[in-house]
Amino acid sequence: MQPQIEPRSDVELLHAVARGDEDALARLYDRYRIILFSLLVRILKSREEAEDVLQEVFLQVWKRAKDFDEDRGKPFTWLVTLTRSRAIDRIRQLGARQRLADAASQDAPAAVSDAVADTLHSERREIVARALAELPEEQRRTLNLAYFDGLTQSEIAEQLDTPLGTVKTRMRSGMIKLRELLGEQMHSLLGPAIN
Amino acid sequence: MVHEDYKELVAAKALTALDAEGTRELEGHLQTCAECRAELAEWEETAAFLALETNVSQPSADVRGRILAEVREAQNDLRSDSKQLSVKAEPVESEIPRRGANVLEFEAPRRSVFSFGSVGAIAAAIIFVALLASLILLWQQNRKTQAEMARMSTQMEEANSELARDRAALQLLTSPGARMAKLAGTKDAPDAQAMLAYDKAGHAMLMARGLPSAPKGMAYQLWFIKDGKKMPGKVFSTDAAGNGVLEDDIPNVALESAVFAVTLEPEGGVQVPTGAIYMVSGA
Repeated sequence: MQPQIEPRSDVELLHAVARGDEDALARLYDRYRIILFSLLVRILKSREEAEDVLQEVFLQVWKRAKDFDEDRGKPFTWLVTLTRSRAIDRIRQLGARQRLADAASQDAPAAVSDAVADTLHSERREIVARALAELPEEQRRTLNLAYFDGLTQSEIAEQLDTPLGTVKTRMRSGMIKLRELLGEQMHSLLGPAIN
Repeated sequence: MVHEDYKELVAAKALTALDAEGTRELEGHLQTCAECRAELAEWEETAAFLALETNVSQPSADVRGRILAEVREAQNDLRSDSKQLSVKAEPVESEIPRRGANVLEFEAPRRSVFSFGSVGAIAAAIIFVALLASLILLWQQNRKTQAEMARMSTQMEEANSELARDRAALQLLTSPGARMAKLAGTKDAPDAQAMLAYDKAGHAMLMARGLPSAPKGMAYQLWFIKDGKKMPGKVFSTDAAGNGVLEDDIPNVALESAVFAVTLEPEGGVQVPTGAIYMVSGA
């Protein structure tokens, strides 16, 4: 069954998915597969694991689209948060240290065949990378350990041999600074197809 | 903890970098503080942009097909369940176009009743009443069918929740460094027993059974006891059979050599135990 008005925005797509529109789910997958898969590969350091979790993520989207509340946040944030959450769960299931140790033996990410998507993602990556580069090294490292390695503040403190209080301060300061640096660019990062 | 202390935790929560204790404290606060919930949403948005700072990778082409295939399979399962209920309705629904045609044809005879008072018009009136009665019966049947479908949908949701819970328990039990503690019932609940499974990060699941029903306004609360210090866990309720399941996070200090207990408390939970102990570990 075709919808009368073809959904365009991410919010419309999610509402359509909530109504059981498989085509809307497919469109959402096409829009977000690179962002979400790239994140999964970075966290899990394995294409096979990343594809597995990506499949789980979109099945979760299918089941939980009705829970998305546009007053609480954007679809981009919802999808990325859901994806990262599944990835961190997988890390904890498999053992974070084991994952990191196995990283060297895993296959490298395949080259992107979609030149347009590659360009768009690279531009966005550049903006975020520039913002992160302006953070002090300790703050950047703390955010990366938390976000991409799924470590808690205590685990970060242990790994860096740093007092817990210091880690907490660096984390909060880093997030405040990152938000300031991204500032107005946050909306351009999302672009016309993602809102 | 004052409000400013909670605000300190929110950015770390957006990065899921809080320890078990911080998570528990903040989650309790978030339930009642709209300001912190709004702030968390903003931090989650900032954190989400970190996802863009990755090398570009694309999944294999078959992933898309696998996702859609699994979605369709789930949809087919749902439709085949509801189809059995709609079989009875189909023959009735197929009558509607015919009934519509009869109503259209009936329009002329109705006018003739008032203008001619013929036997045919009376017969048509009888048919009209019979059709109206059928319509009412159909409507009642449809309501029952919808209620049955709603009931089945609820059952499916409950089954899915149970399955998700079982999966979570299995994940915990098979995670590296997973541990288990058994809780036995006290004199207030001699038939009660529970198992507390937890991983090395403190993510825990309590599965209890045989507990007496909690009085109205009361609930069971989990406790972590270490060196005499009693740290509150979450509250939970039980079903009619006395079974209950709870997911919680064990404070770091209680991950080694702690005692776990369950007491009966006011349903919002308390910071210091006030009620009787119903189950305890290491007894």
